Amino acid sequence: MGQMLPKEDLLVRMQRDLRRANTKDPTKVQWAMVIDLAKCVGCHACTIGCVAENKLPPGVVYRPVLEEEVGTYPNVRRRFLPRPCMHCMNPPCVKVCPVKATYKTVQGVTVVNYKRCIGCRYCLVACPYAARTSDFGEWYTRETPEIPGKIVGRKAAAKGYEDKPAVEYGKTWPDRGHGSPVGNARKCHFCLHRLAIGMLPMCVTTCIGRATFFGDRNDPDAFISEQLASPRSFRLKEELGTQPSVVYLK
Amino acid sequence: MNEKKFKILMTLGVIGLILGSWGMGSRLIFGHASVNYGSYVPWGLWVVFYLFFVGLTAGAFLITIMTYMFRVERLKTVGRLSAFTVLVALVCELIFITLDLGHMERLYRIMISPSFTSLMTWFVIFTNLMLIIYLLESYFLLREDLIAWANDPAKKGRRIYRLLALNQTHYGIRDQNRDKSRVRFLSIISLPAGLLFYGTNGAFFAILQNRPIWNSAMTPLIFITAALLSGGALITALIYAFHEDEELVRPLGQVILYLLVIFTLQEVLQFFVGYQSKITGIVTSLNLIAFGRYWWTFWIIHLLFGTLIPLILLIKSPEQPRAVAWACFLIVITFVAVRFNFLIPDLAIYKLDGLELTFFHPRLRTNYVPSVMEWLVSLWIISFGLIAFLAGSRWLPIHAPAGEGAKKDPATWCNILDSQAVDGQGGTHHA
Repeated sequence: MGQMLPKEDLLVRMQRDLRRANTKDPTKVQWAMVIDLAKCVGCHACTIGCVAENKLPPGVVYRPVLEEEVGTYPNVRRRFLPRPCMHCMNPPCVKVCPVKATYKTVQGVTVVNYKRCIGCRYCLVACPYAARTSDFGEWYTRETPEIPGKIVGRKAAAKGYEDKPAVEYGKTWPDRGHGSPVGNARKCHFCLHRLAIGMLPMCVTTCIGRATFFGDRNDPDAFISEQLASPRSFRLKEELGTQPSVVYLK
Repeated sequence: MNEKKFKILMTLGVIGLILGSWGMGSRLIFGHASVNYGSYVPWGLWVVFYLFFVGLTAGAFLITIMTYMFRVERLKTVGRLSAFTVLVALVCELIFITLDLGHMERLYRIMISPSFTSLMTWFVIFTNLMLIIYLLESYFLLREDLIAWANDPAKKGRRIYRLLALNQTHYGIRDQNRDKSRVRFLSIISLPAGLLFYGTNGAFFAILQNRPIWNSAMTPLIFITAALLSGGALITALIYAFHEDEELVRPLGQVILYLLVIFTLQEVLQFFVGYQSKITGIVTSLNLIAFGRYWWTFWIIHLLFGTLIPLILLIKSPEQPRAVAWACFLIVITFVAVRFNFLIPDLAIYKLDGLELTFFHPRLRTNYVPSVMEWLVSLWIISFGLIAFLAGSRWLPIHAPAGEGAKKDPATWCNILDSQAVDGQGGTHHA
C-alpha cells in the first residue's frame, strides 16, 4: 500500500510554525534547517532563488548545490547536496574575525556586520564548508559597452536593478559600487529579513521537491523538530566539532 | 656599497616605482576588481609577499637582540643596519597586508573593536608593537649622529637632520648613557614581542583545522626556522654589500648553513609524514606543491636555486665571503617560492567534493595565477622598500661610527661570543 498523500503542503505547515516562533520570546528561538537529500533533484532552484532574493553579484553564492557522480558504469548515480551556511553552533569563522564583524545572533544565526567587516577574508579561509564568498565588486553588466549620453549602455542596463542592493539583514545598503557589501565577506543568513516578516527563507520556498525544511528547533510541535529527530540525519564534517545547525537526511 | 652599485639599485628602484604606479593606481581606484584570487583561494600574491617580509625581519631582529640585549660587542657594527632593516621590512609588510584588505579604510577597527579570540588581532598588535619598538630603537641609535650631522656646517641637508633630531643641538655623556639604556630596554622588550610576533604568525595558520597542511604543531616551528633562515640570509647579504665587514659574513654563513639544513629537514619531514598519512587533503596539497601547475617553483626555484646551490656554496666555500653572500642572496630571493608554496596549495583544494562542478565563476575556482595588477603593486612596494633602504643607508647614519665594536679578531662564533663586554662610558659633546 502506498504512502498517504499529505493533507497540506509542507510549506503551509512550516509557515505556521514560523509565525508561532515569531510570537515567542526571540531569545527562546533557535533556527535550524534540514535538507532531505533523498528528495533533492538537483534543480538548483534554491540557488537561483537565493541569488535573486539577495541580488547576489557574479562570483557570490550563498547556496550552491554540489553535484557528484558516484559509482562505476553502469552502476552510476548523481548525488546532489545543497550547501548553505551551516550556521555552526561552534563556528570557526566567528573566532577568527579580528573585528567582531561576524557573530552569532541569539537565535543561532551567524551573520556579518557589513559596516564593520574589514575584508581580510580570514573567515573564508577558516570555514570548513567554503560557505563564505567575498564580494569583489563584480557586475553582470561589466561587459556591456558604455555609451555616454545615451539611454542605453552599461550604466543604463544596471540602473534600477543591479545597482540597487537587496535589503539583506533588513537594512538599506548604498548603491552597488559605493561601499559595502563590496569588499566584504558574504554568506547565507537564513533570509533574516524574510523571517522578520513571517516568510520562510527563499531556498525553502523555491524548493520544488520540498527537500528543505526550516523552523525553530526549540519548538517540539514544529515540523523541523520531527525531521531533526530522524535516524537518517547527519551533519557535514561532524568530526570537526563545529556543530552545524543545518542537518541533512540521508 | 660603491657609488656605481648604489646608482644602479636606486635606478632600478625608481623604475620599479614608476611601473608599479599603474598597479597601485588601479588598486586604489578600482579596489580588488583586477585581482585574480577569489573566494576559494582568498589570499594571493600580496599575502605571499607579506609572509616573505615577515620572515625577512627575523635575522635582523636576532642581530639587534644579540647586540643590544646580550651586548655582543662584535655585532655592534651591524646593529643599526639590522634595526633599520627590521623597520623597512615591517613597513613593506604592513603595506602589503593593508592593500590586501577589502576595506582598508576600516583597519582602525582592529584597535577600537578587537576580537581577542582572533590570532589576526594579536598579530596586528605584535606587528605594531614591533614597529613602535624598532622606530624608537632606530631613533635612539641614530640620534647621536643625527645631532652631530645637524651641527656639522659641511653637511648637506642639515635642516632635515635637525628636524629628525627633534631640534636637539646638544648631546652629552648623560644623553648617550640614557639612549643606551633606552635601546637596551627596547631590545629586552622586543625579545618577547618578537617571539610572539613570529610565533603568532605561524599559529595564525596552524589553528585552522580545516586546512590539511597548515593544521599542525609543526607549522609555527617551520615558520620560526623559515623566518630565521630568510632573515638571517638577508642580513648576511646586506652586511656583505653595505658594511663590507667580511669577517662577520663567515660566521653568519655558518649559521645560515645550519638553518638551511634544519629547514630542509623540516620540509622533508612534512612531505614524508604527509604522504605516509595518506589523508586525501594532505596528499592533494603536497601533490599540488610537487607536481601541480607551479611544480617549477618548488623544484627549480626553491630546491635548486634556493637550497642545493646555496648548500654547495656554503659547504665548499665557507671562508669566502663573496660565496657566502651569494648563497644568502639566492636563499633570500628564492624564498618567495617557499612562501607561495606554503600558502597557495593548501587553499587550492576544494573543501567539499563536487564544489568544482557547481556555480561556475572565475572567483569560484582554485587555479590561481596572480594578475598583472597584483605583480605591479608588489613591484611598487618592493621598489619602495628598496629606495627607503638605499636612502637610509646613504643619508642616515645607519652604519656604526668607525671603531665601534670593530675588534678585528678572526670572526668565529667563539670570538664573537667572547667579545661580550660592558660598553665603554665614552661620550661625545657637540656644541
